[in-house]
Amino acid sequence: MHLNKYTELLERLESEELEQVELGAEVYQQLLAIYLYENKLANAKLLWMRVPDKLKEDKELSQLNLLNLALQHNNYTDFFKHIKYEWSEKVKAPLEDLLLKQREELFTLVGSAYVSIYQQDLLELSLLSENELKKTCAALDWTEELYGDRVILKPKVKETPPSRGNDDQLLKLTEFVTFLEN
Amino acid sequence: MGSALENYVNQVRTLSASGSYRELADELPESLSLLARNWSILDNVLETLDMQQHTLGVLYVLLAKLHSAGTANPEPVQLIQLMRDFVQRNNVDQLRFAVCAFYETCHLFTDFVVQKNLSILGLRILSRAIDQIRQLDTQLTPIHADLCLLSLKAKNFGVVLPYLDADITDISTVAAECKTQQQQQSQHTVDANNDAKYFLLYYYYGGMIYTAVKNYERALYFFEVCITTPAMAMSHIMLEAYKKFLMVSLIVEGKIPNIPKNTQVIGRFMKPMANHYHDLVNVYVNSSSEELRIIILKYSEAFTRDNNMGLAKQVATSLYKRNIQRLTKTFLTLSLSDVASRVQLSSAAEAERYILNMIKSGEIYASINQKDGMVLFKDDPEKYNSPDMFLKVQTNITQVLDLVKQINKMEEEIILNPLYVKKALGSQDDDLTSQHPKTFSGDPTD
Repeated sequence: MHLNKYTELLERLESEELEQVELGAEVYQQLLAIYLYENKLANAKLLWMRVPDKLKEDKELSQLNLLNLALQHNNYTDFFKHIKYEWSEKVKAPLEDLLLKQREELFTLVGSAYVSIYQQDLLELSLLSENELKKTCAALDWTEELYGDRVILKPKVKETPPSRGNDDQLLKLTEFVTFLEN
Repeated sequence: MGSALENYVNQVRTLSASGSYRELADELPESLSLLARNWSILDNVLETLDMQQHTLGVLYVLLAKLHSAGTANPEPVQLIQLMRDFVQRNNVDQLRFAVCAFYETCHLFTDFVVQKNLSILGLRILSRAIDQIRQLDTQLTPIHADLCLLSLKAKNFGVVLPYLDADITDISTVAAECKTQQQQQSQHTVDANNDAKYFLLYYYYGGMIYTAVKNYERALYFFEVCITTPAMAMSHIMLEAYKKFLMVSLIVEGKIPNIPKNTQVIGRFMKPMANHYHDLVNVYVNSSSEELRIIILKYSEAFTRDNNMGLAKQVATSLYKRNIQRLTKTFLTLSLSDVASRVQLSSAAEAERYILNMIKSGEIYASINQKDGMVLFKDDPEKYNSPDMFLKVQTNITQVLDLVKQINKMEEEIILNPLYVKKALGSQDDDLTSQHPKTFSGDPTD
């Protein structure tokens, strides 16, 4: 998944906003969706602030803002609740990506932040069905345990793969040493 | 068209054709009041001038239009379009002869669009204007402050952030421009007095913009520049910046950093006028969230009046976080309800939420064990051996290298400055003459 797959569209929309006087709700919807997907929450918040009042009543736009608020407050339950909505074509793609990304993020976070978590709590956070959750956890190699009558999940920490090649690092180091020697 | 205006057009045309822009730039200011008086027929004048060839002439017509905007009440969209055309098509070489007038045009234009509530349309125009008139990418112009103001008004920072991110190494002021152009100082004295204002405004607005996008470190730097500007008297811009500086530094560092000594203005004028904020700082240092909440409530009226209420709330949140961070230094494991009572949060669930968010943003390292309701605090897992850390170090190194280069360049400039050379050599000469007799005293031929 490329983070910059919406860059072009974003640039076009942003410049449209800077030069047109009367904008339709669509531009704002798309902008907001992309900002959310790219995790530019400050931008999303400001965008909502500058949406003209009469457009704020737009159904889809206010639904998007609910997502925005949920993300601002780090409220996963609200987020997964509000994203279940019949989105129009224009914003569907970024929002589907956003959903996948958030779900992945949630599980990485839980994986690193919890030694053990009640299945019920995680179900409430992620709003997945029990089967879906089981599948996800199995894929991540998490173990479950019974504690009384409640199921406890024990996450495993994922290793992050190295992201850059060695050649590049060597080049940079050479550059630095050259500077020091001069 | 009045004959006086015809004269104006002719003057612009002949002088522009012969390339005597210097002369033209000196004479045009005198026609300004004439143009402003005839605001109703300025469009006719524009038709006879070409933006590319007669940039200076058009500039003054624009200036006159903006001056008379109060009485003439022009169609906003039309005027904005005109300004847009102008910054896209003008001739920069000609514009350099009338930099002051250009700045003034931009200031008036800013006022105009702010007044008409069309700030967002001005962003591109002013950014283009800055690109045209600045001589270096790192030069600060008075227009920067206007661009910041428009961005704040329009709540759109995409355009302005690249300008703010560039570290300033040079400042273009009206006073300096007048000097290099040897214009009569008198007609621009008002503007020259505003140099300081635009400088301070740039850093004040810039700080506010960075605060809004939650880049608190950079915001703190901007506010610091604003309040530590050498001054004899206090500017209200500095006072407001000082208030925000105090709050942002609580959020970033949890205390007030040392402020350079050379700023007596702060101690003498600003401290007494920012009492509430100092109370807030004193309470914050006690790290009791309860007391902090009470004091914010107590002064809420003052904070709201200063438009700092949002920041005050951020300060409150930051104290909770800081207290949790402090716990990680003392304890290895702690139950969630203990965390809640120690940092004065209402419930264990709330504490869990704070901790989860802090783990997410990397402010603490911990893991929660829901089975027995405990938190396990860990050390920073950073071993400084990951590629990411390496990348970070590299970027920092590159920045430092650039800084070194910049300092070397500036030093070179100073060394080559005739005044400096004269002074440095002058004192050496004195030394030489005083030593003169001595060197000869031991001369064997004597």
